[in-house]
Amino acid sequence: MASADKPINTDVPEKDVFALHFLQSLSNLRRQNTFNSPEKTNDRVKKIKKAAYVSMARAAGGTSRLWSRALLRRAAKETNKVVRFSRRKKRVTWLRRRSNRRDPVEEEEKEAERLRNLVPGGGAMETSKLIEETAYYIKCLSMQVKVMQCLVDGLSPK
Amino acid sequence: MNSSLLTPSSSSSSPHHLQSPATFDHDDFLQNFFSSAPWPSSALDDDAPPPTSDSSLAGFHHHDVDSRNQITMIPLSHHNPNDAVDVNALYSGFSAGSLPFHFPQGSGGGVIKQSHTQTQSQATASTTTGGTAATPQTKPKVRARRGQATDPHSIAERLRRERIAERMKSLQELVPNGNKTDKASMLDEIIDYVKFLQLQVKVLSMSRLGGAASVSSQISEDAGGSNENTSGENQMTAKMTEHQVAKLMEEDMGSAMQYLQGKGLCLMPISLATTISNATCPSRNPLISAVKEAGVPLSPNTATTSILNGNGAPLVTVKDSSSVSKP
Repeated sequence: MASADKPINTDVPEKDVFALHFLQSLSNLRRQNTFNSPEKTNDRVKKIKKAAYVSMARAAGGTSRLWSRALLRRAAKETNKVVRFSRRKKRVTWLRRRSNRRDPVEEEEKEAERLRNLVPGGGAMETSKLIEETAYYIKCLSMQVKVMQCLVDGLSPK
Repeated sequence: MNSSLLTPSSSSSSPHHLQSPATFDHDDFLQNFFSSAPWPSSALDDDAPPPTSDSSLAGFHHHDVDSRNQITMIPLSHHNPNDAVDVNALYSGFSAGSLPFHFPQGSGGGVIKQSHTQTQSQATASTTTGGTAATPQTKPKVRARRGQATDPHSIAERLRRERIAERMKSLQELVPNGNKTDKASMLDEIIDYVKFLQLQVKVLSMSRLGGAASVSSQISEDAGGSNENTSGENQMTAKMTEHQVAKLMEEDMGSAMQYLQGKGLCLMPISLATTISNATCPSRNPLISAVKEAGVPLSPNTATTSILNGNGAPLVTVKDSSSVSKP
């Protein structure tokens, strides 16, 4: 844990960047042959969802955030790509293990567990960092929803 | 008297090791210290050297306890005003024979060796317990604030808790309905909101495919955990739900409502649903086709946007037109 309180990081994720990445990935997906088949809608759904999350992770600052890293890693695992991230602080996992052993009994740790399951990459974070990442994640998610909504509005037939 | 103390291990040190005074003479030395900067009080918060340490310096001078305390404490403040750890190093350094400052090294090593273990245990005891009432404090000491331990562990705990509370406050502004003061309910709200947003993304990614069947299959999948892949089965699932609900409604409205709620649906009149869907997105086909009742997703967890963004498949159709139930 840092000894000094740094100011809370509140970057605003950029809509344009996200829209750009997302549209690019969508057009990439469209070019695939198996994409437009009427069956297997679930596969298409999953692919689109994954594309959305990956583009969001890229727009939100790439590998500088823990949850974006986890998202990208998860996506890359399926395509068997090797993703390389700059390991800045391996100390985080050590702190996490220490705090885990210390108080899993506390009330707020139980609730933090639920949050950890939701936010990607939450298993490796301490509680205070987790909350900060959650705030940023919420911002990114709402931005993503807005952009996708506008796309759907624009593209759907009247 | 003084010289007898200096000789035992004076082989190692020469009196000129001292940084501040030029010559090592006890009286001059002590007078230098006494006339130096006033005793700092804050730097010596937790590290009260025990009075028995003075016994190790007992032969040093025939000062009282206070001045002996001051003797040991002053070099610390003089050299490292903010380094509270140095006291420990000082005491542990005695046994090792090497001091962080070039204090009377020979004499310190020679005299302290007699009782260094006692000193060290006392030192560690006093530094960990910090400012206990057992040690008669000299005036420069600042006692710990009432109700707050100066134990480093609890300080870290307190810091951590404060940081968590501060971040939670900033989270509160992000989440709608963030006016709850209770931390537990605030966390619940946050978790629900994150789930809601994730579900929204999922539904939005579905809707652009124009797969109405996939929409309903996803809804039932979320509610019931079933996984249908083809559209035919999807509609059958939806129809089965409708039949089930209709059957239940004949017996007892309450159980029908409970069944629907278990699936995350609720009943509302058609007019209301069409009004909602028309109000928010006029360009969209109404999700509810011409039926008297329709089931809609109940809580934000099941994404009301599924109605508003889907492309025209009814969720629940009810055959009999007799009753209209309101949620």
